[in-house]
Amino acid sequence: MAARPWTTLEALPPGSRARVVNINAPGRWSYRLLQMGFIPGAIIEIVVNNGVGPILVRIMGITISLGRGIARRILVEPI
Amino acid sequence: MVTYRMNLGKTGSQEIVVGVIGQPNVGKSTLFNLLTGRKVHVANWPGVTVEKHEGWREHHGYRLHFIDLPGIYGFSASTLEEVIARNFIVSGEADVLIVLIDSTAPERTMYLAIQALELFPRTIVVFTKSDLTHAHGIHINYEALANRLGVPVVSVSAVTETGIDRLLDLIIEVARGRIGRGKPLKIGYGELEPFISEVEEIAKRSSLSEDYPLRWLAVRLLEGDQELIRRLEKRGEKDIVKEVMRLRNEVINVFKRRPEEIMAQRRFEYLSKIVEGIVVRVEVKPGVYEWIDKVFAHPVIGSITSILLLVSLFIVVFTLNTGFPFNIILENLGYSGAAEYLEEYSLGGLMEKLIVLASGLVEGAVAGYPQWLQSLILDGVIGGVGAVLVFLPLIFLVALMLAILEDSGLSPRIAVSLHNLLSKIGISGHAVFPITLSLGCNVPAIMATRATPSYRERLRLITTLAFIPCQARLVVILAFASALRGLGSIAVIALSYLGAFLTFMLVNKALYIYDRKKGYAEEPELLLELPPIHKPIPKVIWWLTWDSVKHFLKKAGTIIFLVTLVAWALLYFSPSLSPAKELSESIGAGIAKLFAPLLIPLNMNDTQAWMMAYALIVGFLAKEAVVGTLALLAGTNTATDAIKTLGYSDPQIAALTMFIVLYVPCAATLAVVYSESRSFKTTLLTIALMLSIAYMVMIATYVIASLFI
Ligand SMILES: Nc1nc2c(ncn2[C@@H]2O[C@H](COP(=O)(O)OP(=O)(O)OP(=O)(O)O)[C@@H](O)[C@H]2O)c(=O)[nH]1
Repeated sequence: MAARPWTTLEALPPGSRARVVNINAPGRWSYRLLQMGFIPGAIIEIVVNNGVGPILVRIMGITISLGRGIARRILVEPI
Repeated sequence: MVTYRMNLGKTGSQEIVVGVIGQPNVGKSTLFNLLTGRKVHVANWPGVTVEKHEGWREHHGYRLHFIDLPGIYGFSASTLEEVIARNFIVSGEADVLIVLIDSTAPERTMYLAIQALELFPRTIVVFTKSDLTHAHGIHINYEALANRLGVPVVSVSAVTETGIDRLLDLIIEVARGRIGRGKPLKIGYGELEPFISEVEEIAKRSSLSEDYPLRWLAVRLLEGDQELIRRLEKRGEKDIVKEVMRLRNEVINVFKRRPEEIMAQRRFEYLSKIVEGIVVRVEVKPGVYEWIDKVFAHPVIGSITSILLLVSLFIVVFTLNTGFPFNIILENLGYSGAAEYLEEYSLGGLMEKLIVLASGLVEGAVAGYPQWLQSLILDGVIGGVGAVLVFLPLIFLVALMLAILEDSGLSPRIAVSLHNLLSKIGISGHAVFPITLSLGCNVPAIMATRATPSYRERLRLITTLAFIPCQARLVVILAFASALRGLGSIAVIALSYLGAFLTFMLVNKALYIYDRKKGYAEEPELLLELPPIHKPIPKVIWWLTWDSVKHFLKKAGTIIFLVTLVAWALLYFSPSLSPAKELSESIGAGIAKLFAPLLIPLNMNDTQAWMMAYALIVGFLAKEAVVGTLALLAGTNTATDAIKTLGYSDPQIAALTMFIVLYVPCAATLAVVYSESRSFKTTLLTIALMLSIAYMVMIATYVIASLFI
């Protein structure tokens, strides 16, 4: 299977799905993201992304909102 | 290691200590209330201002002592709450631990449960909100899960109360060692195992190995646990820190990933194996309320919706309470009869009648008492506390409103919608919860800033949150505004809130700019879980509302009562400690007259100036006491009548209202500013900011209002 190009979470359109590749956020944030299930391989569904403002995603059955700065730190592979 | 132990309770029945933990939003507070029958004792965890709730219940001859641990996501020690929770667990204080899992999102919320099991074997896994699984299309095989985890598993619902008895039985069984695990759970960390073994060898030499299970300690150290490392350094075990760090760096070099990331991944993998075939989702339909999320997350519509929602909720509360603002609108349309009717039968109006009635009855009853005692009871107690109690319905309604926002899940949506707007003044959507809480009371609001991930942002919030008018100030605002006729009162209330929010925003912006110049500030960021929107649960709403009404009643009965009593005594006695012939010869008046010149710019006569100064000084301790004190000074039943009797002009009333809105809300707020910031400087800065801004705004309001009236 040809590897799809990686991108960051805030660049994905609503309704799309992606697999987490890795996260690259400062300490405190990265612990919290890991605890919330943002681990490599986890599948994320984008619920809302308006191009500005926080995005909404679903991960492991829970809706989470992320500021764009945080979302930019999450590297994903669209699926 | 944890030793097995049960205490003999006071009643002679055996006491079992039960720790309750769970991730945020899993339904922990609700279940805790149900388990304890709401007979809860609230204190702080030692040395910190995080609240500790404890409750008791008798079951089959045992006395179950529940301790509510803070809601946390895991044990990474990246927050104070996480440290508190895990230190409690390893302390051996608990006989049994119950870990809550949200049935509607088991895969994620079970993460904490397996971390707890790694640390503490005598654990019961509890699935909450079982009434919802059906609607979510989730099926869980609890028995199979219990077999795989080796601990009892039970599902409960706080709504239908199913499973509660079974849970209580299980607690006793586990405490008696009849069922459950003997040893903590061991999760395989794959490629990290050799490293963990090495860290274990190193950690063995550390004094910390007496406090924690060795494997757990090794795992946590490899994850770079800040708290453990700090403790090692404090104990002078720097060589151990160094060796652990070397291994940690080796992991990063070899795998090009941080150990904590690999471990979180292995835990979730372990979890997905555990739940395989046990948690089955029949259908994953998007929530019925997903459109609500879309509305609130919209960059334009979202913030407008939120602001409109909050403003209209406030208007509803006002209307129910005093008929305001519809009474005024009706009056101006020429329906003064209808307006009066609305006022008279509003909750506030009825309460006022009740108090007038009560004071009439008491007046008759105390007729034969000595003069000072009559004055104490009538002026001090009935006058002071009564003037505050008139506002009980208001407190109730605001609490109800906040409870509904909170329980329905709307509150975090509002946070999302306002995040962008708030970013401009350097705060994030996380601040919305403290800000809304502030409309009720600043004290819990300032404590709630703890969830703000950025330290500087949090410090700015602690300094500025008190600008948001709490209910106590709302009480005073309403009393003052009601002394104005017609549209003036609407204008003053609107001005108070606008002025307060504007000040909050401007000061935040200024502090943010300062922080940025100094290079401290980060862009405000958001990372927030949105629990499902649902119809508020009446029982839960009632609990939340009653808690804050109870808080107010307690305050009215103790602090406000004492402050009013002191205020009364200072006015009753003259400096020679004999009853003062005139109020103006009392001790209180003497003190107030020192400060009265500050009110000169408002062109008051001497009496007006010292009396207001006195009320404002008393208000420094507890804002509600301003209304009681004014009523006391003027010898009226309500503060509104007092203001009319003392004859303050409209511009004076407007200016004083602004001062009251913006100056230090109460002594308790200052105490919590200090305890949360741990900085004398920040506390002084807060006082200075509030006093100077309030004073300037007061004079400006007076000057401008005088031009128009
Ligand atoms: N349907 C249903 N809803 C529940 C149940 N228990 C709690 N809830 C709801 O779940 C939400 C979270 O409940 P809380 O008790 O506040 O949860 P918590 O874990 O204490 O969360 P925090 O207060 O954020 O720490 C609330 O909206 C409750 O009304 C339950 O048994 N059934």
